Amino acid sequence: MEDLFIWLISFFILIALIVLIVYQLMCLADLEFDYINPYDSSSRINKVVLPEFILQGFLCFLYLSSGHWVMSLLCAPYLYYNVRLYTRKQHLVDVTEIFNLLHREKKQRLFKLAYLVVLLFFAVFWMIWSAIEDADD
Amino acid sequence: MGTENPGRPNFPMRPSSTPFASALPTMTPFSSRGPMVGSEASNIRPIPPGAPPTMTPFSSAGSSPPTRFSDPSVPSPPITSVPSAGGPFQQYPTPPFPSTVQTTPTRAPPVGQPPFQPPANQISAPPVSFRPQSQVPPVPMVSAPQTVNFPPSSLNVPQPPSESLFSGPRPNFQPTLPPPDLSYSTTKSTFQPPFPAYPSKQPAVSQVPSPFPAQQGSFMPPPPASSSPFSSQQGSYVPPPPIAAPLGYQSRDQMQHPGSAPPIGGIQTLTEDFSSLSLASMPGSIEPGLDYRTLPRPLDGDVEPSSFVEMYPMNCDPRYLRLTTSAIPNSQSLVSRWHLPLGAVVCPLAEAPEGEEVPVINFASTGIIRCRRCRTYVNPYVTFTDAGRKWRCNICSLLNDVPGEYFANLDATGRRIDLDQRPELIKGSVEFVAPTEYMVRPPMPPLYFFLIDVSISAVRSGMIEVVAQTVRSCLDELPGFPRTQIGFITFDSTIHFYNMKSSLMQPQMMVVSDLDDIFVPLPDDLLVNLSESRNVVETFLDSLPSMFQDNVNVESAFGPALKAAFMVMSQLGGKLLIFQNTLPSLGVGRLKLRGDDLRVYGTDKEHILRLPEDPFYKQMAADLTKYQIGVNVYAFSDKYTDIASLGTLAKYTGGQVYYYPSFQSGIHGEKLRHELARDLTRETAWEAVMRIRCGKGIRFTSYHGNFMLRSTDLLALPAVDCDKAYAMQLSLEETLLTTQTVYFQVALLYTASCGERRIRVHTAAAAIVTDLGEMYRQADTGAIVSLFCRLAIEKTLTNKLDDARNSLQVRIVKALREYRNLYAVQHRLGARMIYPESLKFLCLYGLALSKSVPLKGGYADAQLDERCAAGFTMMALPVKKLLKLLYPSLIRIDESLLKPSAQADDFKNIMKRLPLVAESLDSRGLYIYDDGFRFIIWFGRMLSPDIAGNLLGPDFAAELSRVTLHQHDNEMSRRLMGMLKKLRESDPSYYQLSYLVRQGEQPREGLLLLVNLLEDQMGGTSGYVDWIMQIHRQVQQNA
Repeated sequence: MEDLFIWLISFFILIALIVLIVYQLMCLADLEFDYINPYDSSSRINKVVLPEFILQGFLCFLYLSSGHWVMSLLCAPYLYYNVRLYTRKQHLVDVTEIFNLLHREKKQRLFKLAYLVVLLFFAVFWMIWSAIEDADD
Repeated sequence: MGTENPGRPNFPMRPSSTPFASALPTMTPFSSRGPMVGSEASNIRPIPPGAPPTMTPFSSAGSSPPTRFSDPSVPSPPITSVPSAGGPFQQYPTPPFPSTVQTTPTRAPPVGQPPFQPPANQISAPPVSFRPQSQVPPVPMVSAPQTVNFPPSSLNVPQPPSESLFSGPRPNFQPTLPPPDLSYSTTKSTFQPPFPAYPSKQPAVSQVPSPFPAQQGSFMPPPPASSSPFSSQQGSYVPPPPIAAPLGYQSRDQMQHPGSAPPIGGIQTLTEDFSSLSLASMPGSIEPGLDYRTLPRPLDGDVEPSSFVEMYPMNCDPRYLRLTTSAIPNSQSLVSRWHLPLGAVVCPLAEAPEGEEVPVINFASTGIIRCRRCRTYVNPYVTFTDAGRKWRCNICSLLNDVPGEYFANLDATGRRIDLDQRPELIKGSVEFVAPTEYMVRPPMPPLYFFLIDVSISAVRSGMIEVVAQTVRSCLDELPGFPRTQIGFITFDSTIHFYNMKSSLMQPQMMVVSDLDDIFVPLPDDLLVNLSESRNVVETFLDSLPSMFQDNVNVESAFGPALKAAFMVMSQLGGKLLIFQNTLPSLGVGRLKLRGDDLRVYGTDKEHILRLPEDPFYKQMAADLTKYQIGVNVYAFSDKYTDIASLGTLAKYTGGQVYYYPSFQSGIHGEKLRHELARDLTRETAWEAVMRIRCGKGIRFTSYHGNFMLRSTDLLALPAVDCDKAYAMQLSLEETLLTTQTVYFQVALLYTASCGERRIRVHTAAAAIVTDLGEMYRQADTGAIVSLFCRLAIEKTLTNKLDDARNSLQVRIVKALREYRNLYAVQHRLGARMIYPESLKFLCLYGLALSKSVPLKGGYADAQLDERCAAGFTMMALPVKKLLKLLYPSLIRIDESLLKPSAQADDFKNIMKRLPLVAESLDSRGLYIYDDGFRFIIWFGRMLSPDIAGNLLGPDFAAELSRVTLHQHDNEMSRRLMGMLKKLRESDPSYYQLSYLVRQGEQPREGLLLLVNLLEDQMGGTSGYVDWIMQIHRQVQQNA
């Protein structure tokens, strides 16, 4: 039962992360097609970058503390990447160079998105699995 | 040859002209030949009048052609022989030749000015008379080619063999060569027979082919020229290119329908239109390799490519827009083989010489005519149809309606009858007065705001005094009277605001010391109208130096002061001039000493030193741009001031960085005075945005320079002036372009100082080609180097210096290798290094670039601040100025100072530039080294004391670092000062301070001058010869 609860939480966290990433991607796409100016775009993106990082860190920690170390391991590369960006102070988009970096920023977020979707798939799988097991008991 | 042909048919018009154009520089046979020989060879040794050597190759070559080609290839030799003899042309025994001779002069000139101006030499003399001054007479052309083309067409085949003979084993000197007469006769004899045969061939060959052969002839020779001067003479002779092309461009209509021109097909071109250097060792010399004296050098400065304007006479002048190649590739695959940057360098407000100002047009009621879809402005390349009721956009080819007020009938040729009253339809550069739709707010007044450091080091250096005096003296000349606004803030550890209300007698100073929460003490009156508050402003400037003369504050609250200035200015925008002397140490944006940790250099963290340390500066720069504030930074510190961070402010606001290391008003005052005055008084465009549009299928993808992008293709430029240029690269969106011409349009929307909103529009057309060779022929070294420079500097911000230099070198090598591959199959290249005539200086500029301040060496070679400041400066320099900086001029002046009657009017003759090698310096001479930013005056050790005494006055024996140059009361000194003044006037954007140095004065001489002789080998960097060898080796690897 406890397991199912943890999978449920991680499911919602993952959904939230995907929403944050999609939001950032939308801001970048809007910028590319000139619907918003770089100032708004970068301030909107920068507002959600830290929440995303923290949420992801929390997810990783949640898996670890609940004993799902395989999932935790799967989250680790993402976490490592985020930490690296943060320590190099590259996590925020730079309004002055945003157009030159647009391509890279988009690609980076698309990778993150794909990664999260895979994680989500695992989480859903385990959630159903533990639900069935619970029912069996 | 194969490579040429495919491209040709598509562009009936151009093809014929282009080869021509590109060929020209070398070609203008008579005029250019002189220079070639003169500048390169003649220095080396006098060429005997008979110039026998030329012949040898031929006699030897002569034997081979017949056997190999069974063609009357020999005719060319005779031709070549003549020039070398320097004799009259009548010598020609056969009729065709005289005709060639005549054609040549008329033809050649229009297209290309020979890149070398002949330094009046023995050999150049005869040719001079032939130098054509006139425009191409279209009429004679047809007949001319016929006579001409025959010899060349047959000639190109044999040439290569002879060529190889030249470059290789060929001895340098005459002795071994057979006497001229002999070769003459042999050549003649072989040569005559072909003629009878000629007529029969003629029809087949006629007209068209001729340009190519001609080109070839003229082209080839230069290469050998480098290996041995004699051979160069040989080639340059070949009859000039008969041009069919220019014909096509006579009228506008024709131009626009290139298809209507007679198609040219099946051209046999066996051209070798490249230049080459022979790198094989010469017999008789122990040293392998090439003679440094024969390498190409841009001693004439930057030569704008003429083909661009020639082909499309309605294009804007190259000073506004230069493409890296005026032949745009038609496919992705061609782009990927080009390897050099593909793009443009734009200087939208470049200063036009008297009489060529951009016309201002006011459409008033009509509104500005623009394409409905792509928003292109009306320009000379739009076509009017439907009896003048519609016009077709040249960029997106949409058919637009002509507004009623703008309607005019078309004449029989389809031109508007009012064409001559419509400058926008005949000129490539025009300026429209913009109506209110183009304003988001009323046009702003010119606004100057000064943020001045008054800490102790600023006071001690005397900077404040110079600034106050200069600003005061410029008050009358500030643009935009009577609307001009002005304001001041000074700062040390506190921030001082000045109330300059016009009703006050004296300015009121308000001090704010709360740095964490900056507020503006007065709602207005900190920024006042200059004409109303003139007295207060003058009083303030007069008292400013004395106000702080006893200040002992060592801190600098630069960040908070900047924020305060931003708050004051944010209502209007304008120009913010920052005078900064102490490393910011208080409040936001404080910086620390960086760069003294030697271990960082050479590691992956090295580039971080060249980036702003604190994100505050980037954020601030973005905000400043948003509110239309342009920043110019004047930095004066003798210690590290982190230009990398401060310069960011200028970089993203379209400004520039002036750096005066260890400023002392006594020494550098004059420079600051001039440059500040120039900054304040030059015509400035306010709250500007710039966009460059181009035809369908291509797109500008990246922009390089000092500005901020507001959207993918819109450059925000809060304050822009004539000394700023911007570079951009383009890429193909479609895999294959089907049109024949592509158009570019630069539009700068700005507020003029007079308060009018205006749009400056520059339009240019360029041909689309299918042939890589053509792209190389039409390449523009200046634009390419300018883009390379910006790319390399940007690369230093994310990589090591080494990487930036290497990637530059790799690109040059790749480009030359690709070029070599174009010709490797058809010609025996052997060990020669080949390069397109248009890019002959590319290698040298590449070398210069990797030795320039932002890129050179490692830690010890330049101060970090100096490097960053030079980087910011070079990112904004227009092409000409950049090339001057990369390859400065070195001029010997002692002779002209001594000449009794020499007047200043033969200034041009005196200013003969020398190669930048130590050998150019004669210890009996006096030299000026001028890179556009400073003069270095070098006194030879054995210079007559008379000259030194006259120029320096009584202290001529003193150590020169303490001596400043000023006028003395004698003719010689006056003449020198006049000369310096002239040099400065030729480009007023920066002021060149004179540094004096005496030969052998160490380490000053080394630091100031010797290190700048970039062709010399210097502590680990390669010299010009080594560099060429190195590039050549790399080109040949896996070639």
